[in-house]
Amino acid sequence: MNNIDTVVYLISSLIAISAFYIQGQEFIASMIRGQSVQSVLIAVVAFIIGWQERSYDFFILGILIIILRAFLVNYFLQKRIPKQKVYLYERKVSLSYLFLLDLIFIVISVFIIYSIAFSGIVLHSFLGNGGNSSVLVFPLTLFFQGLFLIASRRTTFTHVIGYVEEENSLVLFAMFLLPIPIIIEASVFLDVLALVVISSIVVLEKFTHEPMEELIG
Amino acid sequence: MIPGEILAVLVVVIPGVVNITYRLGIKKATIVGASADLVVAGLMYFLRPQTGFFYIQDSTMLFIIMVLSVYLLSAIYSTRYLKGIEVMGIREPTYYLLLNLFTASMLFSLEVNNYGLMWVGIEATTISSALLLITEKSETSLEATWRYIIIVSAGVTFAFISIILIYYTLGTLSVSTAIGSHVHSRIMVLAVSLALIGFGTKVGVFPVHTWLPDAHSEAPSPVSAMFSGVLLPTALYVLYRVYEIEPVRGLYVWFAVVSIVAASIFMGYQARYKRMFAYSTMENMNLALLGIAVGGSLGFTGALLLLLSHSFGKAGAFYSSGNILRFTGKKEIAEINGMHTSMPYTSTSLLMSSLAVTGAPPFGTFFGEFLILSGVLSLHMYVQFIIVIVFLAAAFISMNYNVTGMIFNGNCPNIEKDRLMPALSIFSSVIPLFIGIFFLVVYNEIL
Repeated sequence: MNNIDTVVYLISSLIAISAFYIQGQEFIASMIRGQSVQSVLIAVVAFIIGWQERSYDFFILGILIIILRAFLVNYFLQKRIPKQKVYLYERKVSLSYLFLLDLIFIVISVFIIYSIAFSGIVLHSFLGNGGNSSVLVFPLTLFFQGLFLIASRRTTFTHVIGYVEEENSLVLFAMFLLPIPIIIEASVFLDVLALVVISSIVVLEKFTHEPMEELIG
Repeated sequence: MIPGEILAVLVVVIPGVVNITYRLGIKKATIVGASADLVVAGLMYFLRPQTGFFYIQDSTMLFIIMVLSVYLLSAIYSTRYLKGIEVMGIREPTYYLLLNLFTASMLFSLEVNNYGLMWVGIEATTISSALLLITEKSETSLEATWRYIIIVSAGVTFAFISIILIYYTLGTLSVSTAIGSHVHSRIMVLAVSLALIGFGTKVGVFPVHTWLPDAHSEAPSPVSAMFSGVLLPTALYVLYRVYEIEPVRGLYVWFAVVSIVAASIFMGYQARYKRMFAYSTMENMNLALLGIAVGGSLGFTGALLLLLSHSFGKAGAFYSSGNILRFTGKKEIAEINGMHTSMPYTSTSLLMSSLAVTGAPPFGTFFGEFLILSGVLSLHMYVQFIIVIVFLAAAFISMNYNVTGMIFNGNCPNIEKDRLMPALSIFSSVIPLFIGIFFLVVYNEIL
């Protein structure tokens, strides 16, 4: 593993840590900031790969990530946090219990999925020197972390952040695997933005989500 | 650009162009646009675009006609249905605007020759249809909307991984190239399997179906008709296009069988008629998925016949549900009785559509199911055959038992004030009968 590989692995591990940071937060503003940091880190990975591969696509991708996710999505969500004190954080959440459950879920799912499906993949980029695909563990961790965040929490904001995290994982996954066509990159951004806009409308009416009798069965 | 391409573009663009009239009678423009689009699609059948940006085969045409027909019916039905809503979550022009965008995104997904853009189209259907669910604003509809957005979007991210893996293996996302590539690899199997979970979320495959009953039961009835009748088949069409690259038959067949079992069980204990119809949609979609997985002339023809008949039959069922809700204000099966005297036209359409979607002969769905099950037997899948037959029978009995109970128990004074809404329900539920009879005649002539 050369120095560039080491830096990419290091930043990727920070991305995974940022996901765990978000999971451990109870205040909505902290989660949103965590998502911004995560997006910036993904953009940095895009710049490094772009520089190493001499590909402008990755630079465009990195700039788009910073503008759209780190700033725009952050701005939309921050603006929608209700001013009342009770809405500033997610109450009745057993953080330590969820965190433990999260760790178990992530370790098991990533281990199983990676060893069954992705361990045999040969990476085309410089990261795959010698056919090593272990870097794919990071986007997989991020993906399952996003899913767990959605499943374990009750507020609209947390669900949106979980979803953005999932989309972040897809971009990271695609960056490691291949230089994807710009059309797919654009679609992911459009998707995130549209979801955030719709969420902004829904969040005005409904802040938390609990089981409802009419929707059971 | 040759005429075929122009027609293909027009089919997608017309519903969007109609939105120009947002402030000037979008309601009437939507109906005119839907009718015009149906004519353009009819012309496109004869002047098919060459494979390039578009990939339109006979089966695609069938889906396009289905989408446009149910869109037209729902647009007309909405003109009356929306009048009775007390608290609107979105304004009436916005409703039609979203309905048009929703249709355009479905048509785009069907026509385009690129898996990435198909995925974009499927995501666009979620974005354009989500706010339609809060037309009848309530706490429940808001929760259903949210579940729809988050579950479907999260599910479809699996489909995105599948798309990435297809590109990784083939170096292209072109549907026509990928289908003819005959590349067999472990990664491709993984991609097609992930598509089953990803696009399957939208199709209603167990266990990622959970948004389906909530969204269908809380949406306004014309939107429920669009969801059941054409949105799910559109997602199934995209899934079929992925499946064509590398048929993972065993996995698809078993997922379809388990989903049919689950849908039949859920259907049996539903207290609300719209949720019951939603689970019936899940059952029918998975039956069509089974047909696609089985493949061959039997399975594939059966799936197409089933989907075509089901789209009109289920639209009829949801229009009938809309009539019941509008005239009685009740959602529970147990609260409705004596429909044959209180709502004679709606009771006719409800019974017809119920028989149609449960596969009673001689409705088109019956022949679709018959062909699919013949396909299953032809592959010697006896265990799957027996399981499906048993649970189809259970679903048939439970649904028709509930519907006949609503219609024939008791007598009530006539409360059916509107004529257009019941007329549309009957019209829609009669079509599967004609499809069945037409198929029988054609099939006999071939034999």
